[in-house]
Amino acid sequence: MISSATFHVVTTELVVGAFSVSGLCFTLCLLVHFDILKQASWKTMFDHVAHFTLAFGLAATPFAILSGISSSPGEGMNSPILVNKMFLSMTGFGFALGCIIGRWRLGATVWSTTKSSVLHGSSGLAACGAMLLTASAGGTFTRGESLLDIFHLPYEHVILFPVLLSLVTLILGVVMLALGWRRMAVASSIH
Amino acid sequence: MQFQHRVRVVTLLVFLLFCSAFGAAEPGGNGDGMRDMQCGGACHGDASINETSEAILSLSSQDTIYLDIPTTLTLTATNLETSPTRLIGLFLLTDVTGHSDTPKDAGWEILSDENGGSVNYVERTLSSGQNETTISWVVRASSLGPTSFYAAIHHGGASSSPFFGMTARSLDVSVEPVPEDLPRLAADYTPPTKRLLNTPTDLTILTEYTDTLEFEWMGDDGLVRNSLVNTSGEDSWTVSLPAALQPTTIQWRVIMEGDGPAQTSPWFTLTAEQASWEVSENAVYLQAFALLFMTAGIVIILQTRYASTNQISKYDHAPAVLESDASDVDLETTVSNSVAPLPVGGLPDGWTEQQWEWYGYDYLAGKYGGGET
Repeated sequence: MISSATFHVVTTELVVGAFSVSGLCFTLCLLVHFDILKQASWKTMFDHVAHFTLAFGLAATPFAILSGISSSPGEGMNSPILVNKMFLSMTGFGFALGCIIGRWRLGATVWSTTKSSVLHGSSGLAACGAMLLTASAGGTFTRGESLLDIFHLPYEHVILFPVLLSLVTLILGVVMLALGWRRMAVASSIH
Repeated sequence: MQFQHRVRVVTLLVFLLFCSAFGAAEPGGNGDGMRDMQCGGACHGDASINETSEAILSLSSQDTIYLDIPTTLTLTATNLETSPTRLIGLFLLTDVTGHSDTPKDAGWEILSDENGGSVNYVERTLSSGQNETTISWVVRASSLGPTSFYAAIHHGGASSSPFFGMTARSLDVSVEPVPEDLPRLAADYTPPTKRLLNTPTDLTILTEYTDTLEFEWMGDDGLVRNSLVNTSGEDSWTVSLPAALQPTTIQWRVIMEGDGPAQTSPWFTLTAEQASWEVSENAVYLQAFALLFMTAGIVIILQTRYASTNQISKYDHAPAVLESDASDVDLETTVSNSVAPLPVGGLPDGWTEQQWEWYGYDYLAGKYGGGET
């Protein structure tokens, strides 16, 4: 038996570790794509590692979020840092999900053009960045300090949408996801 | 088959997700709250894995408890054994059935607990080497008659198992009617338990049958101080407390004098804390999921837009195919356009120019009996 807090530490370590490796590999993929890193033969390896670790981190993220909620002191979200953690982790989850689905449905063509490569690499890096910020917010919440404190990030401020706007955004997001999935299904059917 | 496989995977993931919430012990505590005894058995996980605590619990109260007048119930816990976190949780209960057993369920109001709240379950972290502690609640009865109080404890230990224990016997109290003209706090007066940091506090106290009131308060240093009391109306008093510059707890009480015998109230706890931060959790969850789907949707839409127009598939060898087709067409066109040269005598008898255009080579090859064989 372990507590939610301990389980949260374990899962966040898995998430942060996986996303960090993923972010590194996405960076290397982009460097190879732009011929800054002149090792074209490594691109496949970086691509595979980036997406495998991203998928692994993605699988561990729900556990981290749920254990984080159950281990937070007091009842409910009584701190702006907790709310920002929730927003950052879900945003990172969204970036990672879009990235993984894109790679799964479109295959290696995500690296076929510069625009597509930049988009794909950026979404992977954004997922990594969001998760690292989430971890930093967690450190600030529990220990009062974090490595990213040098940037003086405004964890104490929350941008909370009106419920109606959130609802519209949610619906819009689901529709875009469905449309994108459909287009990918059509595209993938001829591959 | 594939659908069944997916259902299995989703079911497994959901099961694992819930394991983290329901299967874990809570050595870090659950926080103070209004909790029944069942929580003491279950908050550490499965109640069946509890071990019996060796702690000795003892409840005590004043000899006489009057209706609608606050009184103090004190719990002394000794022989404590804890986990390395040294955290214990203590309950004040009015029943041992496991449900509906809080003082509130028995018609008692908890006005103050020692942690600055007004709940029946409080957590306390013991210092190193400490194996006993005393904690008190200020409660008020709303009906006459007897009530049995119990106390319970849960804590960790050397092993990973949680421990749960209860008072060996109940504290039986009887609520009596208030004597005539007894100076007392107003029956509907609820003392505040919180105040904000950096803000001077004007405490309003409502009394009955009270002519003079003396106010005493005590900080962490244990030194009892007096504050000036102003009258703000009949049986209404105001006391100004200095602003707290950091989160601290003070205790205060009043000594009331009137026609009846002088009365001293219990020590009430007043905690200074930062203004609480509140947010609608539903709005937060809704926005969080909106962000998730919006980011995923944007990435996927853009990805299909940029990748699909430039995709390379095994069928997508258009340049080569087109080139090949073009050469075939050209050849065909060349062949069809190159009409066979007419024989020396001109068109064979009975042939039209159109027939020659199409079958001239065949004629020359002797298929129609003529030709240049």
